[in-house]
Amino acid sequence: MTTVSRFRLCTILAAALTLQAQDLKEFEKKVTEFTLPNGLHFIVAERHEAPVVSFHTYVNAGSVDDPSGETGLAHMFEHMAFKGTDTIGTKDWASEKKALDAIEEIYDRLEAERNRGPKADEGNIGALEAKLNRAIEEAQRFVEPNEYTRVIEESGGVGMNAGTALDSTEYYYSLPSNRIELWFLLESQRFLHPVFREFYKERDVVMEERRMRVESSPQGKLQEDFLTTAFAAHPYHNPPGGWPSDIASLRSSQAKAFFDKYYVPSNVIMAIVGDVNPADAKRMAERYFGPWQGRPQPPLVHTVEPPQPGPKTAIVESASQPIELIGYKRPDQYDKDDAVFDVIQLVLSHGRTGLLYKELVQDKKIALAAQVIGNFPGSRYPNLFTFVLVPSLGHTIEENQKALEDLLSRFEAQPVDAAALTRAKTQARAGVIRQLGNNSGLASLLTTYYAAYGDWRKLFTSLDELNKVTAADVQRVALRYFVTDSRTSAYTRQPAAAPARGARQ
Amino acid sequence: MKRTLLLLLLAGTLAAQKPAPAPSYRDLKYPALRPIQIPEVGIFTLPNGIKLYLLEDHELPIVSGTALVRTGNLFDPKEKIGLASLTGTVMRSGGTKSKTGEQLDEQLENLAASVEAGIGESSGSVTFSALRDNTDEVLAVFKEVLTSPEFRQAKIDLAKSQIRSGISRRNDDAGSIAQREFTDIAYGKDTPYGWDEEYATIDRITRGDLVDFYNRYFFPANVLLSVRGDFKTAEMKEKLEKLLADWTVHQDPVPPFPKVSPPPKGATYLAVKKDVTQTFFTMGQFGGEFRDKDYPALEIMGDILGGGFQSRLFQRVRTKMGNAYDISAGWGAGYDHPGLFEISGSTKSISTVETLKAIREEVDRIRTTEVSEEELKTAKDTALNSLVFAYDTRSKTLGRMLTYEYYGYPKDFIQQYQKALAAVTRADILRVAKEHLDPSQFTIVTVGNPQDFGQPLDALGTPTVAIDLTIPPPQAEATKSDAATLEKGKQLLQKMQQAVGGADKLAAIKDYTESAEFQLGPAAGSVHVKQTDRWVAPSSFRQESELPQGKIAAYWDGQTGWIVAGQRSGILAGTQLKQVQGDLFRIYFRLLLSDRLEGRKVNAVDDDTVEISDASGEVARVVMGPNGLPASVLYDSANVAGPPVAVEEDLSDFREVGGVKLPYVVKIMQGGQKFADVTVAEYRLNSGLKAQDLGKKP
Repeated sequence: MTTVSRFRLCTILAAALTLQAQDLKEFEKKVTEFTLPNGLHFIVAERHEAPVVSFHTYVNAGSVDDPSGETGLAHMFEHMAFKGTDTIGTKDWASEKKALDAIEEIYDRLEAERNRGPKADEGNIGALEAKLNRAIEEAQRFVEPNEYTRVIEESGGVGMNAGTALDSTEYYYSLPSNRIELWFLLESQRFLHPVFREFYKERDVVMEERRMRVESSPQGKLQEDFLTTAFAAHPYHNPPGGWPSDIASLRSSQAKAFFDKYYVPSNVIMAIVGDVNPADAKRMAERYFGPWQGRPQPPLVHTVEPPQPGPKTAIVESASQPIELIGYKRPDQYDKDDAVFDVIQLVLSHGRTGLLYKELVQDKKIALAAQVIGNFPGSRYPNLFTFVLVPSLGHTIEENQKALEDLLSRFEAQPVDAAALTRAKTQARAGVIRQLGNNSGLASLLTTYYAAYGDWRKLFTSLDELNKVTAADVQRVALRYFVTDSRTSAYTRQPAAAPARGARQ
Repeated sequence: MKRTLLLLLLAGTLAAQKPAPAPSYRDLKYPALRPIQIPEVGIFTLPNGIKLYLLEDHELPIVSGTALVRTGNLFDPKEKIGLASLTGTVMRSGGTKSKTGEQLDEQLENLAASVEAGIGESSGSVTFSALRDNTDEVLAVFKEVLTSPEFRQAKIDLAKSQIRSGISRRNDDAGSIAQREFTDIAYGKDTPYGWDEEYATIDRITRGDLVDFYNRYFFPANVLLSVRGDFKTAEMKEKLEKLLADWTVHQDPVPPFPKVSPPPKGATYLAVKKDVTQTFFTMGQFGGEFRDKDYPALEIMGDILGGGFQSRLFQRVRTKMGNAYDISAGWGAGYDHPGLFEISGSTKSISTVETLKAIREEVDRIRTTEVSEEELKTAKDTALNSLVFAYDTRSKTLGRMLTYEYYGYPKDFIQQYQKALAAVTRADILRVAKEHLDPSQFTIVTVGNPQDFGQPLDALGTPTVAIDLTIPPPQAEATKSDAATLEKGKQLLQKMQQAVGGADKLAAIKDYTESAEFQLGPAAGSVHVKQTDRWVAPSSFRQESELPQGKIAAYWDGQTGWIVAGQRSGILAGTQLKQVQGDLFRIYFRLLLSDRLEGRKVNAVDDDTVEISDASGEVARVVMGPNGLPASVLYDSANVAGPPVAVEEDLSDFREVGGVKLPYVVKIMQGGQKFADVTVAEYRLNSGLKAQDLGKKP
């Protein structure tokens, strides 16, 4: 139940280059696809190496879809999806349901009182809060704690987790392959019969998660400020886990509304990879997911980030050593130049021959690390081509920034080296091959590509587009997008210097 | 029309038919799990002594391999911590006899292949991965990196600078601080298990050290080579035998790794970190080894306590209290030395004590009452049912086989483990928890902001020990030296000895007292300070300063020392200790006699400058003036406020005392700014000071 940023995915997307048509043909033999009448799509890939199987559920909705004032809701629902159903995780559903309704009824009254603003009766608020806490404890009596996850674990489930990103929410784990039906049962029940038990305790856990990942982490704080600075209108502005004050006021009714709107069968893709018989899988899919009611496709985000009026900078005070993020606005993954960005990322940032490593790390020794994240914080909407600069000891943000600017201006002034271009394409192809031998990685890739492009084959065919990218394309895109006016930089700075240095202190 | 209507009606009734409700997961019937096919591994010994393991895997057109080498940072010399790791890094980055590192980078990345090298705690490795069609070319590079690395200086410098940068960043993440300090305290500073790389230990490492370290451990009889992928075993064996035939160096067998020291006494530690809203904690004590008879029961015990969503700590601290996102515990086993049993997590500052108390109660509970039958069943099912994932790829199968071979475990260790696991009882768990968990002996490390704790950590019942996170300062970049520069350095120093009155005169000085007036510059507060230094050979040193705000005295005898400031007194430690040690190292008479002092290195930097250093990391440069006298002394001084600061002392107004020329005026610059003008009022030499008198507190 992590809030992941799209670092991992970006590398995967960018690493995609052309496999020979033969590779795709060969791989295609292992894949079976079907869509249920309710719109739920399944991709099944057979790998019978070992009696194990991996599952991946990709929901095409993420924090970017959080309603205004309710940021963190997508993430909060993700946590609730592990809390069980009306039959799993309860000692007595009828009584528990009553107790849960009682919580909501008290909470409604509490909110109504608070909403009176200056006229609110503090005494009444206090009394209702106490009542609310008692009601929460009362409902706890009917809970069979963590039963849902316990069943998975004791059945030999490994790698069980989930992640909420800006663009998506994903759920995944692996099981011994004789227990495939258990996954069908549990995965279907959590989406067919979600309950929102222990919602308010889990809200505290989510707050702790935020404290750990953002408030107590220099990188977390920097990343958050980077995004709020870069995006004025688009919800990429918001942290994937939400703002603390929003989290603290989330209600289970809001999570339910979010679920009803976005967890629509046709908005979900599921992949099963490993020791699986596709005919069995289809039969079980129909049985367990068939009853999931189809609903209208949820809306896309319509807010378009207006053109940036000029460069922006954010400074985050932090006692840590300096880090800088520099982002340039770029179009989404559907843009015709997407493949060009992928090539640029590889040329700049892949391995030890990447230009950033060569120049900043190896030759000038001013950086401990210098990398590119091709799409940040997501890729479904226009986003940021982002540089991460980590100065080495004794060197500054300014030196690194200057070196990056020099590099980019040379990149714009002359076509990229032919050898580097070829190398990038070779690496992308090998990158795809190397990912085909891992059940869970493959399950994730297949759903991701299907969600993004409507066809998992894009994992292979996007390599064709990459292969067509020329040095002139690279130069054109660099000139067009790496411009000062669309740049956002954010860096950490140590708080004002300590007292004057003396001999004995 | 009618037909359509009928169809619609039909569809309606079909849709209205309620599907059968899903069964309970308890009623699911599973077929037996298909038996695991353990693939056959070809095992050979090559004529030069390399043990070879080959495993075919034709799923993807890839070939990869690992040379596992018995070495590790457990063999780092104490004053050169980081040597093993640096050797591993530069084996690859520094290129081979025939190609530079950059040439390798380009060649490999053009093929989308990799060859990497690295040395960890108790093993080293050189690995490769190639697309099948490039196997031969990549193997050739792999062989060169393994057998003839060149360790080019530029890449040693780069790797050292990278490690230094890493050190400078090691206190940026609270969770990793807790982890590191816990490990360091639990294993202690007497063995490499509790050591960290420091600026000084990295700075001391030379290319010669890397070459020696490599030569000692990288020889055929010390290598287990495993190769997996799209090849035919017989062909690959022949290929490798031919490729590696000319690697025939011999070395004595590698000695066993050092043993751990006895565990420390239990205590609670706090490292203050103000820029966090949570307290990060790691606590525990010595675990054991995988081969221990009780290991399976301990593993289950650890799982029930803190091993997953259903564990007691997760249920209590996360689900019930809502106090943590991250909370877990696990038994710690190592292959050849005790691992560490650890409980770790993080909670908002205000819940620190409450959470630690709850954890303590859960530890007490598991060692005083039997776990329930249900808990035991869940934990055993979890462990046994997931065991198939230990075999689910060929690389895991091969990897485990090599690990067992490397540490001398039986080939069927995992099957034995599986059997023992199935036999664990509730009574076993209580017994092992009682025997192996002793909360009074826990090392508890917390990292956070105590101002927000609400109640002090002492509420846990034991006094809290502070952890000083100060990173010992980096030394000036060690200058390259060879026989010629060392000889030149000695000559330069002897020239200065001559100019001040001769080495014998200097050597005759056994004690001295220097009284001086310091006028501090504006950057240092423009105040006036009186300072008296007293020294008795070889290393008793006392310094007394009178500042406007009061007197400070410090004493150091080479082993221990104290500092007294006004009414407060304490052990001389941290930055102050570093400063006094530096002053002692740079005492005029001793500095100029460094060629006669054991452990000091004297090296010429240029025609006028000599650099003097010792194994503790002290470095100073002395610049000779035109008259042969020492004109300035340069060094980095430890600094409370931040990183060390560059100091330059310019010496002038030399006058003769007891046949030795001594400077009476010293101008001190710090970080490029005027720090102080010093006027010496008096030097008294050989006045019969006694070391024990110096040590008396004011």
